[in-house]
Amino acid sequence: MLSKTKKRWSIFLFLSPWIISFLVFELYPLIFSVYISFTEYSGLNPQKIFVGFSNYIKAFSDEVFLIALRNTFIFVILTIPFTIGIALILAILLNNKNLPGRNFFKAGFFLPSVISMVVISMMWLYLYSADGLFIKLGTMMGFDLPARSFLASPDSALMSIMFMDVWAAFGYYVIFIFAGLQNIPEALYEAARIDGASSWKIATKVTLPMIKPTLFFVISINTIRSFQIFSEIYTMTGGGPRNSTQTIVHYLYEVSFKKFQLGYGSAISYILFIIIMIFTIIQKRALRSDY
Amino acid sequence: MKKKTKMSKITKVNLIILSILFIFSMIPLIMTFMTAVIPEGDLFNITKEKTLLDFELSKFFLKTKMKTIGTFDYDIFEENDKKFITVDIKEKNTGISSFARDLDINYLRHFELEINPNKKLNNILIGLKDIDGKYQIVSYKINTKPNEWQKVKLELNPEDFGEVDTKHTAEIQVLFDEKIKVSMDNVILKYKFPTFMNFKTVWEENDFGRYMLNSTIISISVVLGNLIFCSLVAYPFARKDFKGKEILFMIVLATYMIPPQIKVIPIFILMQKLNWIDTYQALIMPTLVTPFGIFLMRQYFEQLPRELDQAAYVDGANDFQIFTKVIMPLSGPALAVLGINSFIASWNDLYMPLVLTTSKEMRTVQVGLAMFQKINGVKWPLIMAASAIVGIPVIIAFLFFQKKIIAGITDGALKG
Repeated sequence: MLSKTKKRWSIFLFLSPWIISFLVFELYPLIFSVYISFTEYSGLNPQKIFVGFSNYIKAFSDEVFLIALRNTFIFVILTIPFTIGIALILAILLNNKNLPGRNFFKAGFFLPSVISMVVISMMWLYLYSADGLFIKLGTMMGFDLPARSFLASPDSALMSIMFMDVWAAFGYYVIFIFAGLQNIPEALYEAARIDGASSWKIATKVTLPMIKPTLFFVISINTIRSFQIFSEIYTMTGGGPRNSTQTIVHYLYEVSFKKFQLGYGSAISYILFIIIMIFTIIQKRALRSDY
Repeated sequence: MKKKTKMSKITKVNLIILSILFIFSMIPLIMTFMTAVIPEGDLFNITKEKTLLDFELSKFFLKTKMKTIGTFDYDIFEENDKKFITVDIKEKNTGISSFARDLDINYLRHFELEINPNKKLNNILIGLKDIDGKYQIVSYKINTKPNEWQKVKLELNPEDFGEVDTKHTAEIQVLFDEKIKVSMDNVILKYKFPTFMNFKTVWEENDFGRYMLNSTIISISVVLGNLIFCSLVAYPFARKDFKGKEILFMIVLATYMIPPQIKVIPIFILMQKLNWIDTYQALIMPTLVTPFGIFLMRQYFEQLPRELDQAAYVDGANDFQIFTKVIMPLSGPALAVLGINSFIASWNDLYMPLVLTTSKEMRTVQVGLAMFQKINGVKWPLIMAASAIVGIPVIIAFLFFQKKIIAGITDGALKG
């Protein structure tokens, strides 16, 4: 009996770092932010006034929030096919045993994913600037480009950031898809070949169905990450020009830590949470219905 | 035989496509490092030299660029399409002074001017005055012929100028110490290219040294915390049976899925109440135990043979001893994966440090870099040098621990 309580104690001790961290930095924030999302709470004034759902209602009549929502959806919907598409093609190309320098290519594609988004944003800020590669090359080739950054115009700013994000992200997903391809048993390909299947048939009837779970997984993490874009917006445009690159998380940051409307900020963060949950559930369902 | 050549053709096409995308991946990185070693300007317009004074300007404009020192006796002459200044030197330390505004002497390869003295000249004096008004003259031996235009190249060594802040030079003076009539033209600054001065400037002048220190302290603490605490927590999840284990582990995984932004406002309020805003612990504490780390370590512990613990248990070891003496010594590979991945995550984080720091002294490299660009606008060589400094630690870590990093993302991912 004594040894059993002792054993329980030791397990509790082992788990205690997580229990403390969970209570303080996970559970408390989660509950507390629900609570303050129903109040009007400014970080500067400790008075919390209960306002019910009005922060949530306010969000959907807040023009800037709606723009941020729209931009974020555009971002998610337009970048994911390219990011995952390029990653898929590269992973398939890399999955060729006769290819020299496989690991070298893999490492090269992956490198941008370990570099911080702030650094990547700086690089592309320069590439997109009036002194940068794109405008210089464009002018050299005879295009009549205005001598200002791509990020300075509301028409091209969001597209430019999306292009950069595809560049920065695809290498990360190559690793996952490549690992998925490696898990396909060689015997399946051999069986298909013996049956006389063409390489196109093999790709669509063997490879694609086999890596479908990996693809779904990759799409879902890419979706979650894309909904949370912040660093590139903060460093490159600050949401501008004229809110054309405003995103949910960047607006959340502005509301919470520039205007210190912490109640409203919490409501926005919960809206983000719910959107991500819905997307995750839809994707899980789509995956389950297939298998 | 025929089949083999066909295969290699496909491989060749693969190789070409991969190479193109590889170059596309590398261009921004390469351009960053190339721009970082440019003294001034940008990659398509490198400033290798700058004319400080030529005398083609009208006298009125000239006065905004220079003055004379020790005399007012000077004239602008024109001869064979060449306009130049002639100064009559009657006493020591007389000459001309050029307004350099805010020039960093350390970037110079040499200082160059054309000179035509009316008799043999042995010494030329260079005086530097910094933006605080500190002043120093250094004498250089030169070998000139009389009555002839000649180029004089001087290598200005910043150390010779002692107290003067050579990074912020306001005036460069060309002075003489003999009685002489001397004509001068084309005072030119020649820059070093490539130069590593941008890195030094960013490091010393723009607090990147301090930012690096902050980021290093925070990242190392987070890495150590994760190695110790995630292993501790993973141990009972992997090796023990206890009530509620499944539910607790589900909770660990669930916290993995919650977007971090939702927790930031309450954590900010908490840190405010604790008076921890602008401290290291505010940035370290929330990431000491991560679900990623617990998951990764549990997976590794689970596949270690159970017989090891049992043997130790029979020998009278308790759980803590089994953990420290048996499990941990075998967990090197998993700890390496966890360590390197937590380092990168902590080093690269922007959101938390941005919210939880207010003073310049406490900024991490990511916040420092973002702010640096907002202030410096389009000084690309400096911005690229700063970006390189912030990026280099993770790039080096990647080159050394590539396999561990990749293992971390594929093993640590919760599939399905």
